[in-house]
Amino acid sequence: MFTTPRVVLIALCAALNFALGSIVFLIKLPIYLDSIGTILCALLIAPRAWVAFSCAALAGLISSCIAGLLINPFLPWFALTDVAIALVSAFITARGIAIFRARPIRVGALVVRVISYGVLTGVVAAVVSAPVVAYLFGGVTGSGSALVVAYFLKTGQQLMNATLLSGLTAEPIDKSLQVLLAVLLYRATPGEFIDLVHAK
Amino acid sequence: MQSESRSTGLPMSPTGAVLLGTVITIGAIFSLRPGSVLALMLEVGLFAALTLKRRAAAAAGYAMMVVLPLFAFMAAVWVIVVGRPPTIGAEIAHMPRTAALVYVAVICARLFIVIFIVRVTLLQFSEMTPLQFVGRLALPLLIKKLLVLTLSLIETLAHAVDRSRTALITSGLMTSRFSLRNFLHVWILIQTAWLTVISIAIARIRDKWPIENTMARLDDVLGRFAVRFTSIDAAAALIAVVGVAVAWSLG
Repeated sequence: MFTTPRVVLIALCAALNFALGSIVFLIKLPIYLDSIGTILCALLIAPRAWVAFSCAALAGLISSCIAGLLINPFLPWFALTDVAIALVSAFITARGIAIFRARPIRVGALVVRVISYGVLTGVVAAVVSAPVVAYLFGGVTGSGSALVVAYFLKTGQQLMNATLLSGLTAEPIDKSLQVLLAVLLYRATPGEFIDLVHAK
Repeated sequence: MQSESRSTGLPMSPTGAVLLGTVITIGAIFSLRPGSVLALMLEVGLFAALTLKRRAAAAAGYAMMVVLPLFAFMAAVWVIVVGRPPTIGAEIAHMPRTAALVYVAVICARLFIVIFIVRVTLLQFSEMTPLQFVGRLALPLLIKKLLVLTLSLIETLAHAVDRSRTALITSGLMTSRFSLRNFLHVWILIQTAWLTVISIAIARIRDKWPIENTMARLDDVLGRFAVRFTSIDAAAALIAVVGVAVAWSLG
């Protein structure tokens, strides 16, 4: 399962997660962009769903560990979110690879799929990460979404509900953007590299 | 690398230090009351002073630098905007803002401990290269290989970003300072950097690595590091478990 090209792909995607996640964390953008590598890894290995899931999950976990040690010590606590994103990407988002790679680009079909897969990934990520955000950070992570949590708390919601509702507000937008960027990188990746990754 | 951590007071192995850090982190995360968090902070501070001596202050300073802005932000949200903690006991029901401040302080103290112990663990082995550190961890070979390759590719990616950025500035698509043009063209930078690293990866996988036998040599190097779990590691882990239990009982 883990041939040399796939091992290199996992490391490349983990490096991509780390690099983009660090830039966003350091310049305090109100988005995460730290799972593009995970989604891209699943797309590049598709349609073999289980292999794609294993490799994408490893890419997410490795980047979380390294970023946890070097940039943001709290990232490893979201390891389950990485696994959930890998699962959705490998089993659902990867179903759109024919449209994602179609030449000439089919804009309408691509946009519809990117938004629907992005929203689904976002909902799953929000549900999985809500308990961590609620318990570890008390619902406030230092990002702009904390104000949404504060609003829901002010309206009388419980902490867990407020965190979940805040996640459901912000994550689908962030994940749609991440799926879009992953799809664009997938389109740009040379077929030669994809052939290497698919070879047994 | 004769000694595992020459610059520190305790000759722990990386595996032992990571295990101890994990025990402390779990202890901190599940400490719910101010008393237990405070006790755990004292214990971790003592451990850092013993292992890192004067450099413990640098680790504490780094953790403070991360946590203080978060504390200010959390305090603004919980104390000023919400005006109460998520749950409030009858004994402090008459001063909800004070209770909110205590709630924020406990959360931030826990986060401080987590950041501090990660920093202490890293500083203990600051004289090791990443390859030496990863090689000595008790992990499956595949994971060690992935960690080493990722660290190497992060450098490659950083160089690719630098080169691409310079080219885009020269061509007038981006500027060297913060600008709207940078924001609009950041996608071209990401795509160019990705294509650069992919080209490098294809060349390495197909030509360079098979000739140099790089992957087999990497397996060999990673397999040769002694993965030791010393009696000092075991004692430190045990003391950490006892320390966490004592801290919890004080809550």
